[in-house]
Amino acid sequence: MPMKLLKTETENQLVVKRILHAKCYSLTLDKALCTGCGICKEICPREAIEVKTVPKVEGDKARPPTIDVSEEKCHYCGICESICPFGALKVTVDGEHVIPVIKSESFPQLLREIEVDTTKCDVDCVDCEEACPLNLITVTVQTPDGKEVKDVKSRPDKEKLKVNVEIKKALCPCCHLCEVKCPEGAIRVRKIFHGIIQINREKCPEDCQDCLDVCPIPGALYLSEKDGKVHVNELFCVYCGACKIVCPVEEALEFRRTLVRHTPVRSGAWNKALEKLTSTEEMTKELRAKGSAKAQESIKKRFAGSVS
Amino acid sequence: MPEEPRIGVFICHCGLNIAGVIDINELVEYARKLPNVVYVKENRYTCADPGQEEIRKGIEEYNLNRVIVAACSPRMHEPTFRRCIAEAGLNPYVFEMANIREFSSWCHPSTPKEATEKAKEIIKMAVAKARLLQSLDTIEVPVTNKAMVLGGGIAGISAALDLAGMGFKVYLVERGESIGGHMAQLDKTFPTLDCSICIEGPKMVDVSRHPNIEIISYADLLTVEGYVGNFKVKIRKNPRYVIAENCTGCGECRDVCPLEYPNEWDENMGVRKAISVPFDQAVPLVYTINMDHCIECYKCVDACGARQAINFDHQKKSNLKSEPS
Repeated sequence: MPMKLLKTETENQLVVKRILHAKCYSLTLDKALCTGCGICKEICPREAIEVKTVPKVEGDKARPPTIDVSEEKCHYCGICESICPFGALKVTVDGEHVIPVIKSESFPQLLREIEVDTTKCDVDCVDCEEACPLNLITVTVQTPDGKEVKDVKSRPDKEKLKVNVEIKKALCPCCHLCEVKCPEGAIRVRKIFHGIIQINREKCPEDCQDCLDVCPIPGALYLSEKDGKVHVNELFCVYCGACKIVCPVEEALEFRRTLVRHTPVRSGAWNKALEKLTSTEEMTKELRAKGSAKAQESIKKRFAGSVS
Repeated sequence: MPEEPRIGVFICHCGLNIAGVIDINELVEYARKLPNVVYVKENRYTCADPGQEEIRKGIEEYNLNRVIVAACSPRMHEPTFRRCIAEAGLNPYVFEMANIREFSSWCHPSTPKEATEKAKEIIKMAVAKARLLQSLDTIEVPVTNKAMVLGGGIAGISAALDLAGMGFKVYLVERGESIGGHMAQLDKTFPTLDCSICIEGPKMVDVSRHPNIEIISYADLLTVEGYVGNFKVKIRKNPRYVIAENCTGCGECRDVCPLEYPNEWDENMGVRKAISVPFDQAVPLVYTINMDHCIECYKCVDACGARQAINFDHQKKSNLKSEPS
């Protein structure tokens, strides 16, 4: 047979492949990075992705949902890869990492605005590295000529040393924890997703903390000592929505996204995806904003033309 | 009140073609016992003049009003015998043929016993049918002077060109996006070993340019009603999401399309874009969006620009066409 559709699943990853005589496509899900939030499932244009909740074992913590990809349906457009806030998906064509929808500018990329001013950093401080729940930050200290310093404390020339903070941006959901934990205010992070998350106290069942168990960001949800129920700290929430999937009671958790920060794009596919991720109202808002920005630009151009 | 059927059965030896295998005497005895059969006669060659004379004589002497000839295929001599009984004063449609040559003696030459039994069954069926035959009149009906060819492969293309050359208006209906069929998929063809598309391509272009031919591609046949010369055919045109009149076939939309899917035309060896033609020589050269794979990013709309050939609102359309014989 000229075409082969394959699916292989191991403990660490799920790979679907479409092998043709002339080309080979693959989509890899890194299970270590995936939180089961299901954003990919929501916007997959082929409905090739399925979110499976893991049945809870009595007495155990709730486990995050898992993602399954259909090798029959997937057409390797790469929309899932572009939207995954945790960078858990990867598309390759003929072994090369290519995202077709990004290459053709048919889909935007998430804006991960993370600024680190290392001049403010204290050479002894690794607070951000410790704060990152996904272990994406590596702090290194270097001498002015670029050599790495291991034993910072014993060095007499501390003032001359340079701090280097490396962040794996592609995998960062922009939770803010590093920014908040930084004692010097050296890090500035802007969130990708904005939204609203609230827990309805009356509907939220007693002794259930499933949402807290699956939340990838510590501190975004916490157990209150006062009433023994789960509360939200929106400061850290990345609006991935994993909590919403596992919540056993309808309307106990109010969750919706209102904004997705992304690179500029003109694409019907993005409008559709945005509508699914947020709501029709939010999508029209973005469209209107785009429209008025365009109008302003053309006025500016015309104005500039008449002056010259 | 219809008259009681009086059936005459004429069993033909066809030389040794039938008599060499089948026991004719046994058939004669058997046929005599069938209901409404009043006369049975065997002949060496029923189609020859003496044989036909026997039929005319039988009709006159036994006052037959149904005639069966157990001989060859009706494609061979049905018109002959219809003419024969008409000359004897019967309506030509009270005639029935029992094909005991092609259906029995020719195909079972090594088992004469079973062949004889089968011939009996065939004659029995013909008798049963003859009892229900009625006189019919020949009438004339107008014919639509247009033709429809179903399937735009090399056979359909040739048929359409021939018919159109004779001056008939031809509708060439093709299910796929382009005409060409399997020949367009082949590399070289016997006996010249020319490249297949080099032979077929010019014919495809001829079809598209011929003033008498209308290609209805990417369409499904829904229903065929009517009769020879007066067919009514319902066809559904599937949406291409590209306006054929505006599409220049430039391919700029294909270049910007991000989606690729296995190309059925090259048996899934390679890929084509979500907006594309199955192969470069496609006729008509109109691009098609495959909505199963399109993500509606509208990059193609931007690329098409002022030509405005892309329309995402296309619907399935049904059309009625008529067709002659």
